[in-house]
Amino acid sequence: MPARTVTIYYNDKIVRQFLLACVIWGAVGMLVGILVATQLNFWRVNFDLPWLTFGRLRPLHTNAVIFAFVGNMMFAGVYYSTQRLVKARLASDFLSQLHFWGWQLIIVAAAVTLPLGFTRGKEYAELIWPINIAVAGIWVVFGINFFWTLARRHERSIYVAIWFYIGTIITVAMLYIVNHLSIPTSLTHSYPIFAGVQDGLVQWWYGHNAVAFFLTTPILGIMYYFVPKAAERPVYSYRLSVIHFWSLVFVYIWAGPHHLLNTALPGWLQTLGMTFSLMLWAPSWGGMLNGLLTLRGAWHKLRTDPVLKFFAAAVTFYGMATFEGPLLSIKSVNALGHYTDWIIGHVHAGALGWNGFMAAGMIYWLLPRLWNKPLHSVSLANTHFWVGTVGILLYVAAMWTSGITQGLMLNSTTEGGTLLTYPNFLETLNTIRPMMLFRVVGGGLYFMGWLMLAYNVYRTVKGAQVVDGTAQVFVEDGLPAGESARIGLLAALFSPPVMFSVLGTLFACIWMFGGSTLQLLGLFGTVICVILAWMHFDSKRRNWGDWYDRLLVSALPFTILTFLAAAVGGMIQIIPTVLVNRAENVEDRRQIPYTPLELAGRDLYVREGCYNCHSQMIRTLVPDVLRYGDYSRLGESIYDHPYQWGSRRIGPDLARVGSKYPNSWHYRHMENPRAISAGSNMPNYPWLLTNPLDLSTLAKKLSVQRTLGVPYAPMTDTEVASAVGTQAAGIVADLAQPGTDIKVQPDREIIALIAYLQKLGKYERVQRAVAKP
Amino acid sequence: MSEPAPKLPQEPGEDPVRPHVFDGIQEYDKRLPNWWLLTFYGAIVFAVIYWLADQHFPSGTSASRLGEELARIDAAKLSSSSAQLDDNALWKMSRNPVIVKTGEDIFMTTCASCHGKNMEGGIGVKLSDDQWIHGGRPMDLIGVVNTGVLAKGMPTWGPVLGAKKISAVVSYVLSKHPAPAGVE
Amino acid sequence: MPATASSAKAPRPDRDSVTTIRADGSRFFLHPADSRGRWISLRRTSAWVLIGIYLLLPWIPVNGHPAVFLDVAQRRFHLFGATLAFQDTWLLFFLITGLGFSLYFVTALLGRVWCGWACPQTVFLEHVYRRIERVIEGDAVARRRLDQAPWTSGKIFKRGAKQVAFVVASALVAHLFLSYFVSLPQLWTMMHEAPREHWSAFVFTGIFTAALYFNFAWFREQLCLIICPYGRLQSVLVDDHTLAIGYDTTRGEPRGKVGPPDAGACIDCNRCVQVCPTGIDIRQGLQIECIACAACVDACDEVMTKLERPKGLVRYDSQAGFTGGRTRWFRPRIVIYGILLAVGASVATWAVSGVRPANFGITRMLGAPYFIETTSIRNQYLVRVVNKRDVAARFLLTLESDGVPATMIGMEGTVEVGPLAEVVRPLIVETPRAGFPGMFPIRIKATDEAGTFSIVREIEFVGPDRAVAGGVAP
Repeated sequence: MPARTVTIYYNDKIVRQFLLACVIWGAVGMLVGILVATQLNFWRVNFDLPWLTFGRLRPLHTNAVIFAFVGNMMFAGVYYSTQRLVKARLASDFLSQLHFWGWQLIIVAAAVTLPLGFTRGKEYAELIWPINIAVAGIWVVFGINFFWTLARRHERSIYVAIWFYIGTIITVAMLYIVNHLSIPTSLTHSYPIFAGVQDGLVQWWYGHNAVAFFLTTPILGIMYYFVPKAAERPVYSYRLSVIHFWSLVFVYIWAGPHHLLNTALPGWLQTLGMTFSLMLWAPSWGGMLNGLLTLRGAWHKLRTDPVLKFFAAAVTFYGMATFEGPLLSIKSVNALGHYTDWIIGHVHAGALGWNGFMAAGMIYWLLPRLWNKPLHSVSLANTHFWVGTVGILLYVAAMWTSGITQGLMLNSTTEGGTLLTYPNFLETLNTIRPMMLFRVVGGGLYFMGWLMLAYNVYRTVKGAQVVDGTAQVFVEDGLPAGESARIGLLAALFSPPVMFSVLGTLFACIWMFGGSTLQLLGLFGTVICVILAWMHFDSKRRNWGDWYDRLLVSALPFTILTFLAAAVGGMIQIIPTVLVNRAENVEDRRQIPYTPLELAGRDLYVREGCYNCHSQMIRTLVPDVLRYGDYSRLGESIYDHPYQWGSRRIGPDLARVGSKYPNSWHYRHMENPRAISAGSNMPNYPWLLTNPLDLSTLAKKLSVQRTLGVPYAPMTDTEVASAVGTQAAGIVADLAQPGTDIKVQPDREIIALIAYLQKLGKYERVQRAVAKP
Repeated sequence: MSEPAPKLPQEPGEDPVRPHVFDGIQEYDKRLPNWWLLTFYGAIVFAVIYWLADQHFPSGTSASRLGEELARIDAAKLSSSSAQLDDNALWKMSRNPVIVKTGEDIFMTTCASCHGKNMEGGIGVKLSDDQWIHGGRPMDLIGVVNTGVLAKGMPTWGPVLGAKKISAVVSYVLSKHPAPAGVE
Repeated sequence: MPATASSAKAPRPDRDSVTTIRADGSRFFLHPADSRGRWISLRRTSAWVLIGIYLLLPWIPVNGHPAVFLDVAQRRFHLFGATLAFQDTWLLFFLITGLGFSLYFVTALLGRVWCGWACPQTVFLEHVYRRIERVIEGDAVARRRLDQAPWTSGKIFKRGAKQVAFVVASALVAHLFLSYFVSLPQLWTMMHEAPREHWSAFVFTGIFTAALYFNFAWFREQLCLIICPYGRLQSVLVDDHTLAIGYDTTRGEPRGKVGPPDAGACIDCNRCVQVCPTGIDIRQGLQIECIACAACVDACDEVMTKLERPKGLVRYDSQAGFTGGRTRWFRPRIVIYGILLAVGASVATWAVSGVRPANFGITRMLGAPYFIETTSIRNQYLVRVVNKRDVAARFLLTLESDGVPATMIGMEGTVEVGPLAEVVRPLIVETPRAGFPGMFPIRIKATDEAGTFSIVREIEFVGPDRAVAGGVAP
């Protein structure tokens, strides 16, 4: 067989593009973060302008940091390392450019639409449907470009970093598409096809795994490439890579329900969410240990090399965040920490510490290699590190203190547990005000550090000659690399490891969902399966190892197995929940569908992003019930497209706010919250009092809701208008009563919003109760 | 001092690095501490046991547990109000000097600013006469104090004062009114 | 605890694997040899001072309360004479960041000095548990021999005695910890009553004892290596001018027998490895495991003294110092950390000094925001007064409204609050309808009876739009 040497020219232009985009969008995302954090303390910074309010900018911050900052960083790292790990140039320059410019266009579109109030009302999934389609499309472009490159590789086996990239690409595609399924009502608005508990479950299956598969697995892959490169040390443990990759991919997906602990979510899902979160601790730390012990051999270089400093600190923060996560998933800890700043602190320990520092380390390492010039200033990079660590310390300490203080105050009772100690929510908010200020200081310092990086990048890049990497490979003509060792799809599937996993999962499902005898069978089968698998593994250890080695040269079967591992958890949790007849599976209460005016008000509630500060979910916890009223039932939000249970209580819960206050209270409160609630940090909403209500698409919205299964009778435009008019007139008349004397036109947005708020918590009793699917 | 020491020979039989090198990256194949693996297995075993306990031998759903807890709170509220509350019991309490004194203290600090020191009224309605807007039975008074009359400015005192103090303050108000026949 | 009796001899530490993890994943249980010298003596002294402080804090009364008493049951925290309520919990922030900045500052100067000198893990492990082990089982050689020995009655006795001593020590530390949360007389009473009387405290102490026992009897340096993030954070805070324990390569190499004239000072006696409590060879440079305990410094100095060579082959020095340069103490980083620490300390002092013996808050009553009467407009508030002292206190409430006529209704004289109690009172404010200027701020001032301090809270007085308000003249 003739062998020849081929020189590969890597496409490093695309890496440079994504790297610079990451630096710029990172700065933008952090700046918006500082702005929204400031707004929490100084309500005037909302400027009474719709497009600058917290409710609209907070989604911009989260989306910018996740998809623009980490997204671009991930693409840069993936493209740089993949080409080198598989010894092949990226498959298509066109697709690479399409990927880059498409993604930047999406970011710009998001930065325009979110402040304008175009939103789907689900966290980290706010972007409207046309942008959703673009995201999915560009992601597919990324996938094709990646897998095509993989197919043209000159390296037989695939390295652990590539496993993580594969896991990322297919799982994010799955999560993104399912959670964005919606029916449009106009070019800028749509309703998600799921509602209430189903929407909540799908949302946190997505939301939790956005953290897992967008912020963690790709960065772990990047860690597996850049850490050994920078440390010039071998990776500590291959077998650990295997264990922690597969357990992470399989277990992570199940943990989504831990965002909905103690809510109306069915108990079996809550149990799965909590127990799988606890199981996640060891696999997550597997990644941390592999990174750390790889760095261990180069520990003495830490004091001089900023790249290694960033990596060591990032891995440490990853360890801290993944320890805190399982801790917060324990139901009783969650009862204290959920809805408070503790969660915000937890997230930022990960975002600032893990993602931000990994990004910085990677960028400092890449700069000299991509621009063929030493880093402009190593001491500035070190300063960035010092400033960044101080920023994280201030931020995280502030949020821990704030979260625990507020959690304790909200849950505190007196008189033998019969009365809340602090019945007024504002007392707890005002206590944590200083912490909200210190978080701005901490975030500001971190941002300053990032600016130092940006300046360093600018000075290094300026006037530099770009350089593209090359590599020499030996190619044997005729026989594609590794052909002989490859494993077929069937052989991959019908192999002991896969068969044992599939059988074990099947039996576990029978155990979970079966009737009383089936359950026993399932439990028995699961245990037998585990024992057999263990015995087989113990006696045929080498076979399993060989099988895995062969799997590693077979990208397609590997990808399919990864997809299966990642898909199982979601399917087992979501399919039963979606299949049940929701109108029957409602415990003892069923939501009364909104009137047209109330639905219009609800869309305003979503537009203004009220869910960013207000939950609509009274948990099955005594302090929640004492504070907000009877706990929320499954049936009380079954017609909510999208669900609005919320994830943070910067303000009080609103699930039963209906009829609690007079209409005039809401009017004055929206006009100026501080007039009613001394010390409130809620923005003013003066435009709601003057904007006319847009009814042009209301009939269409109602018809889409009917399609989605909300029991609306078909209505014509005039019927809708007349229903709206009648209800609005009633509210206007009530506001004009002597004693309050508020004069307002009936066609203003505020009327619809008041109608919606007064409807919250209204239900009808039903006889049939189905507890478990 | 920080120069790497020459690499020491590995233990015999141990393959130091995996055969494959990826872009210069080598891989050891070291084992992690067994105790670390045990934490993973331990979490799995815990999950199985927790599921068994939760699904097969439930001590109740979270809702039912909450129900029990709320029932306990209600019971505590009732027991702390010294008797099962009804009109008759409240009338009896209104003749008990200890309860009336407690009620008077609460009234002076909490109610007098609106209803007057002698219940003569002011911002709030007069309480010393027999004109009742929301019903004059003792349990009606309890209801009004508990939930308030928001439109008129009477706040909901239930969550602030609690059942025991409310029954005491209502007893004090009743003590200024003649008891119906049959209450000694 | 399982004795890790195994045939394997002590593995030689290297950069590629962790000494305490064997190739099969089992634990290599370290038996560090004793070392003597000035650092060890200093550390022992400082450790006992620290243990003494831990022990005494719940005993020393300051202002009638223990110096540190976190009274969870009463929601009051007594810290060196200051009493903090729930609403003051945010001051915890200064504690966390203060510790954080101190860590940054000290680590930038002195490396992982916290790990080796002050961390409770090291203090209790080295100076309590390992001492117990030393007394019962003998020195490192004897302990290693005991590991290998068959289970004779003598071994069972020694091991049993050691474990019992460990459990007792753990229980003592757990009770000491509990005494920070429960007052001592109460703890004493609780210990004399049946466990079920104080079920949660009993379970807490039991679990805590078990955790301490597991940690100090067996887990030991694994906590520092794998669990603890602070060690790693300290490692990344080290720079070229930070003091750290290191080996002087220039002087020491080439190591070998005493004799040849070109030989380095190191005679490769391995004392530094034998005494290391984390199982590393300091001559391989700064490593993740090193807790900067200085045992190897003393060990090496002892050998060098015997050889009549200068001490300090292994010593506290900076990277700059080891490579022949000078350690710069005043670096921008140190100065900035120092400034941050000073700023933090002053803000904390200011914040803590702003903590009054009482808290005072005002919120609006639920319901309509304002009420329009024939001649007046009325707002209704609730005030909450928290008395943090253990004697009853009276507060006088006064109203200021910047020229707009406004009066408090019904709030006469003083609010009396019992010791450590909280009081919630209605506060009604009225202003005439005529000439109502629209929303305006009012200030409520609570002054304690003696006039020593007052707290002012501002809140809005709300009313209708001016046009509506002015309807009826008084």
